[in-house]
Amino acid sequence: MPNKNGNVYGLTLLSPIIDDEKATPSHDLQIRKYLATLPTGEGSPFALAPGTHLARLVVMDDVIYVGMPACEEHLKSKYLVLESNFDGELDQYLNGLADHVPEHLDAIWGHCFGYPGVANRKAFVEYMRACQLETTFFFAAVNDQSVPQTLRALHTRRAVADFIACHQGMEPAQLQAEFMQFVKELGSEPIPRPGSIGVVRNTKTGGRDE
Amino acid sequence: MSKLNATDIQGFVLRGYNLPLARYLFLHFEDACRARALIGRLLGEVTTGQRWDGGKPDSTVNIAFTHKGLVALELPLATLLTFPVEFQEGMKKRAGILGDTELNGPERWDELWREDRVHAWLGVNANCPEALESRCAQMLALMQETGGAVLVGSQDAAAVVIDGKPTTGEHFGYTDGFGNPEYLGVERKSQPGQGKLMPDGTWAPLATGELLLGYADEAGELPVAPVPHILASNGTFMVYRKLHQNVASFRAFLDTQGALYGGGREKLAAKFIGRWRDGTPLELSPDEPDFPLTQDPKRSTNFTYGKDPEGVKCPLGAHIRRVHPRDAFGFNGRLIDRRRITRRGLPYGRFVPEGEPVSDAEDRGVIFMALNASISRQFEFVQQQWIGYGNDARLGNDKDLLIGNHCGRGKFVVQGDTTKENPPFICSNMPNFVELRGGEYFFLPSITALGMIAMSLVDPR
Amino acid sequence: MSNINGKVYAMNAITPMKPWKTWILRGFFFVLGHVKPLQKDLVNLSFIEFARWVVLPRKRFPFLGNGQVKEDLRYDYLLFFSNFNGTWNQYIDAFSAVLSRGLNLVWRWSEKFPGSVPVTPFKEYIARVQFDTDYYYTAYPHATANDLKSAHIVQASFDKLSQRAQEYSPAQFAEAYLHFVLQVQAHLGETGEAPVVF
Repeated sequence: MPNKNGNVYGLTLLSPIIDDEKATPSHDLQIRKYLATLPTGEGSPFALAPGTHLARLVVMDDVIYVGMPACEEHLKSKYLVLESNFDGELDQYLNGLADHVPEHLDAIWGHCFGYPGVANRKAFVEYMRACQLETTFFFAAVNDQSVPQTLRALHTRRAVADFIACHQGMEPAQLQAEFMQFVKELGSEPIPRPGSIGVVRNTKTGGRDE
Repeated sequence: MSKLNATDIQGFVLRGYNLPLARYLFLHFEDACRARALIGRLLGEVTTGQRWDGGKPDSTVNIAFTHKGLVALELPLATLLTFPVEFQEGMKKRAGILGDTELNGPERWDELWREDRVHAWLGVNANCPEALESRCAQMLALMQETGGAVLVGSQDAAAVVIDGKPTTGEHFGYTDGFGNPEYLGVERKSQPGQGKLMPDGTWAPLATGELLLGYADEAGELPVAPVPHILASNGTFMVYRKLHQNVASFRAFLDTQGALYGGGREKLAAKFIGRWRDGTPLELSPDEPDFPLTQDPKRSTNFTYGKDPEGVKCPLGAHIRRVHPRDAFGFNGRLIDRRRITRRGLPYGRFVPEGEPVSDAEDRGVIFMALNASISRQFEFVQQQWIGYGNDARLGNDKDLLIGNHCGRGKFVVQGDTTKENPPFICSNMPNFVELRGGEYFFLPSITALGMIAMSLVDPR
Repeated sequence: MSNINGKVYAMNAITPMKPWKTWILRGFFFVLGHVKPLQKDLVNLSFIEFARWVVLPRKRFPFLGNGQVKEDLRYDYLLFFSNFNGTWNQYIDAFSAVLSRGLNLVWRWSEKFPGSVPVTPFKEYIARVQFDTDYYYTAYPHATANDLKSAHIVQASFDKLSQRAQEYSPAQFAEAYLHFVLQVQAHLGETGEAPVVF
């Protein structure tokens, strides 16, 4: 089914934004302002809630007029787009967001028509599903590794490259001993947090250059 | 396609002259009117692309302008604004994009390039010192007579001479001069491996428009070019970079790493570049050099990487594999056809053979000049994405070993196999073997365009 | 507001389609989704992390009532969301160079699409139909699609060796280790900052 590719779910939400002449600034501008200061790294709501590989939020003002002979037309509402690529199933993801970052969800979607708030969990999930668009075709370069697995693999790769570089030409018994030690240490290191730029490894990899 | 009019194109664009000596004069225009008069006088001197049926001349002259130079010549503003953004900004402002930071940053460049005084490049090539001196003297005399320009700097360059004969060698000991692309209509002996790869495995010349403005390019259109057409056609853009070479550091690095590498010092040197020092491509002869191969144009550049996807013969990050990936990215090489550049240029500074004492501080290196229809799409892309970065080659942030701006960090992986002579090997924390000492972007106009500039006939559209 | 986070770029595009053409496009996507070899080129252009197309019929814009006015449109819309590595120019250059037929099959049903070759009018069209991202998050900003694939290969090889490392004699280990290095030697690139965009 097209919303999924392997273990990754491609969620596309289009939420109509409240149009109220009396609001100053308008609701879409308020969303924009909120998004402009929202952290995009480790402090992102998508980092704090589990499962998100990549996600974006876009205030879509209008459709685009491509020029004559195409007809000019306009949307009656602006829409908030959420495009997210995450591990697992939709309900579990939405509940994860509601559990971990309820204040952000309310602050952002509170500007949209019909948004019930996370407090009423059932209504919240129904609302999100009502905004969902069916993805027609979803492509994923890697579709079978979760976010924690990915972060761990990236960390391992860096550590392995360092280890190999520092252990060239070593005689087998010592190499084996140091490798076992390396496995132990790597296993006990924390994985980098989602949205971060990686962990600075203080653990020495041993070998010639230490 | 239309036949090229060689008399309208500067010779420097169409061929490397193979003259062993050069002096590059850098000019500054003080007054537009006198500068134009100088260009008018130079018109008779500029070497065109015409064939030398009567034998090679003793010396050649070519000219190119920076954007500031075109401004000083008072081309119309509307015309000046149609030049590409990167050319208008100049190479110094593009330092961040090119990775020319820290040891390669403009603060460390030669004074000539730190300032913004260079308006024109006058390239004089010659076959002997007397011819070089007399031609340069003639140029200076013209400058004096017309009052058209002031000399703000000059750079000598010369082919490395070994046993009394000029060679295509360079200071690290490699044989250079193999890698120039072929373009449709540019007369040259055809050589497999220089053009673009066709679906049936043969090689065809690249579209002319990858080198010359005004001709169809590989994207099936006329490349974006300054306006009016007649100013841009038959012209091209030139990138000039003075690359200082730290020969002592390089030799020391090769000594220490070569002692640790199972294949030995010479093989490691070959793995850095992708060719043995005599020019034999690793892809064709991974175990030892094969000098006759290098002398056979049907073979010396005729290879692809499709059968070596793991880099066991030629490392994934080797220099020639980085700058000319051929079919390494799949799609039969189509992804790289618009990323080729034509190189001219010569070494500078005293050559010191292997084994003799040498110091990084001595003034030596290579004057790197690249010709291409689009500096940003061709040179800047290769420099940023393939030299200073490695994602397309699946090497993450790893840089080119030879000219990468390492500043003591980074690594170079030599992929290998289970044999003792070809083991996997990693070099780490490299110093800069090459340091940028300055440079700029130039526009090399056609003869017609030079005439228009000289007579102040450039009209905006 | 930024379209870029670390090494990944978020492109959004919306193009109008005459409703009868939407069915042809759906047919094409159906085939593409089920005939895997057709996706080969997309996979080999290894700078896309995730990408999706969403056909949005004119009557299916979400309607939540509560004061919202219903949409009244003539066109269906094709939404395109891509998460790719590299610069905007590099991305479009690559697609135009090697995937032009596929691109045409997707976008020729959109109004005023000029074709994906030659590249300059194609770039102008994309610039016109692209709209900008307000907020962009990635769990791994310093990694590209290539880095992800390499990392998983390294992790898998490392796990295999780690599991058995204890059992080997030193000589056996040395051999197993060499094979491990050969498996990962083409996958050891560093992650880090993206080059400056231009």
